[in-house]
Amino acid sequence: MEPELLLAATASLGLAVVFAPPRVPRANLLTWGLLGLAGMAAMVLAPSLDLVLLILLLLAVLQARLASHRDFALRLRAPVLAVGLLALGLAFERMQGPVAMERFGAVGIVAGLVAVVGLLPYVHEFDPDESVVASPIVWIAFVGPLLAATVISQARQVIPADAGDAFGALLIGLGVLNMFWGSVGSWRTAGDAAAWRYSFMADWGLALCGFGLGIADGQAAALIVLFSIVLGRLPLYLWSRQALREKVPTDRPLNLVVAALLAGSAPFAGFPARVLLLRGATQLYWPLALVLAAAMLLWLPASLRLGRSMGIPRGRQAVGVAIVLGLNVLLGLYPQPLLTLAGL
Amino acid sequence: MALLAVGLAVLAWPSTIFGAFAIAAGGMIAAAECWRSGPATWGIMPAGSTARLILCIASGVLALWVASAVTTGTGAPLRFAVLVVLGLMAARILMSREAPVVLAGIASLALVLAAAPGLAPASPGPIPALVGGLIAAGVMFVSRARPAEKVGT
Repeated sequence: MEPELLLAATASLGLAVVFAPPRVPRANLLTWGLLGLAGMAAMVLAPSLDLVLLILLLLAVLQARLASHRDFALRLRAPVLAVGLLALGLAFERMQGPVAMERFGAVGIVAGLVAVVGLLPYVHEFDPDESVVASPIVWIAFVGPLLAATVISQARQVIPADAGDAFGALLIGLGVLNMFWGSVGSWRTAGDAAAWRYSFMADWGLALCGFGLGIADGQAAALIVLFSIVLGRLPLYLWSRQALREKVPTDRPLNLVVAALLAGSAPFAGFPARVLLLRGATQLYWPLALVLAAAMLLWLPASLRLGRSMGIPRGRQAVGVAIVLGLNVLLGLYPQPLLTLAGL
Repeated sequence: MALLAVGLAVLAWPSTIFGAFAIAAGGMIAAAECWRSGPATWGIMPAGSTARLILCIASGVLALWVASAVTTGTGAPLRFAVLVVLGLMAARILMSREAPVVLAGIASLALVLAAAPGLAPASPGPIPALVGGLIAAGVMFVSRARPAEKVGT
């Protein structure tokens, strides 16, 4: 799963650089994006979770050095808290102690994962005017998906069966919480930029639920959702930033199509992910599928709002939006090649 | 920092000698840089230390529980060191806003992450220790490097 997400992140960076608005310094975006990609590639190659945490620490320090309104120490808090929690969780899993230790370890790993991505209850401080590369969007939409897939796949090797159920249950619980919080926040919050950030949280809720189910359908759903975050929501957010500053809502057909993509409706990538997730939840515990289905309805008003905030893409951005729409339709209609590539 | 580096290197010695050297070297470089870059004032219990004092007591109680639960059997010193350093350094970083203090905490975290693979049943090899030592040494130079770069998007 990780190499596929690395590929998606590379494609997303390519789209962001090539189709960036004229005023965006492409060289800087490319430099810092490549640095992030190098870190992500190192995570994929890392043989143990300890090395992944060391790479994460390094990336966090490098990102915190970028200019921002928030100070250096403040920006390091979330990733450092995440590294501390993940390392504590890992240490608990490796100890020959009571079973409670293993469960504490599972809690530490899940809490660390949520902290590094910036989900509830460790939501990162977000400044809409901050540059994207220095903002928490990097963790939630660019580095986060691959990091989460790596952490979860490596954690499953060290978490014993006794604590495995607790690990899955925690992921599902936090996933449902983030689905509701993110979709309602994205719908009701005052600022459009903050609404975009909440929408990332809602999508992450789906991914966490998919990982937590622990069966093939859930894993497949999580992979497709993460793909749609990296190759759908992230580039669209980048291209909407200009319109967000101008605060001119637009009601063109294109905005409606973008809203459909963001809502996960057919034929876009979010649709098969939702179907797989509901099927997986039904296999595991059918009332969970009811809760998930109810939460999925909340995407609609939020997505209509975000679609309107896109403005009217012109020039390069219009080409970029068309490519993103095409990729998401392709993934929505034929997800099987991606799933086969990921071994699912 | 120097004491921490030496302690972790000694604990890592049985599993990987090269790794122990890497941890010691990285920690010593970080300690030297820490000595040069930190504020030249007495930093123990200044005004406003109540929160830290409470944290010390709470961590002491937690350490007692951990000690009674996990410091038995082989490898107990490393287990204890990893837990205590992780907990205290993460707390130190979360409570501080001064860059040198945060960076020293991060260097310590890197050192303990370098030694932590020794807890695993299989030998981790020297790579985590080498990477951790390099990060610990390199991180301390961040505050001396050129000012933060401006990036737009």
